[in-house]
Amino acid sequence: MGAPRVPLEPPTPEQKAFLERAMQQYGKATYNFAYRLTGNEADARDLTQDAFIRVYRAWRSFQPGTSFLSWIYRIVTNLHRDELRRRKGRFQEELPEDNAPASFGGERPLAVTPIEDYVERQLGEPLSRALAQLSPEQRQVVILADIEEYSYQEIAEIMGCSIGTVRSRLHRARALLRRLVERAQRPT
Amino acid sequence: MMDHLNNDLLIDYLHAQLPPEDDALAHAHLESCAACRREYEAEAALSETLRSAALAEELEFPSLISAAVWEQVRQAQPTWGTRLAGLFRPAIAVPAAAAAVVALYFATPLSQNGALPAKHISATYYLEAHAAQQARNPLGERSPTAAQLIESSTLDIGGASDLADVIDAPPLAMMPAFDAGR
Repeated sequence: MGAPRVPLEPPTPEQKAFLERAMQQYGKATYNFAYRLTGNEADARDLTQDAFIRVYRAWRSFQPGTSFLSWIYRIVTNLHRDELRRRKGRFQEELPEDNAPASFGGERPLAVTPIEDYVERQLGEPLSRALAQLSPEQRQVVILADIEEYSYQEIAEIMGCSIGTVRSRLHRARALLRRLVERAQRPT
Repeated sequence: MMDHLNNDLLIDYLHAQLPPEDDALAHAHLESCAACRREYEAEAALSETLRSAALAEELEFPSLISAAVWEQVRQAQPTWGTRLAGLFRPAIAVPAAAAAVVALYFATPLSQNGALPAKHISATYYLEAHAAQQARNPLGERSPTAAQLIESSTLDIGGASDLADVIDAPPLAMMPAFDAGR
């Protein structure tokens, strides 16, 4: 991922223990969340690695008694959004506007080779393919609401938006998912 | 009988995000309306399929992620700010402060029991001071009083006019002539 490389400080013993425990207990969940967001293992690895580095940097800002998973999902969501913006900027710089493929609409900011790879591998699963066609924000909200089973309030906190936005994104995303799945299941 | 539940309401109901009153109304309606129940089951099936698909393709946490994170941590170097802050840690700051206080003590007049630093004074000052002190001492060698006393005692002691007698005479304070001379 293209996160800016600010030099790290050497760890204190508490900081080291915090990071170790965080990776042991939440590494798998974080990696799977990143994988569902990005749709491919390489980006998920980078995203997860950057997320834990951010945890390491900001470990003192974690408030005991709150959900660590919500905190790290928020970090992953923010990093993913930043990465999408960065790639979008790079992609727009590389290709003149009139040469941009028509399929890359406003909601598909990635130069989506990784997602296309993912979809290629999952051709037998219409749902996964449909999920990959949602916008990043819609995919995030579906993953958080339906797979991770967070409340709208928690999703709003993780995504940094209002509950109303969560609700409308989820409604639109699910309506789109159902249409895409039905279309994929229809015999050709 | 309430109207049919729209999909947005069903999705909120499915995710248990309706206020209690609305939730109760939706629940009651679903009990009695087959069309809404079918729609609800379709939404529920979508959620269930998403969860099953996610569970089926769940991945293990790759050890190379933690290895890469620890590698970055190992390469971490303290910044100037941290180094400076490190100097204020008690283990370093307390001995350093103590050493500074000791150095300050020996480098200032405080170590001289509060006395001011000695100024450069000419040796003649001491000679003059000594002479003045001697002059104040009635029994001092340069005291004019002593000289006068010696002179007067020589006169008063009558027969002891010889210098040797004067030298051998008892101290002036014990001499009867001294008492008599008052």
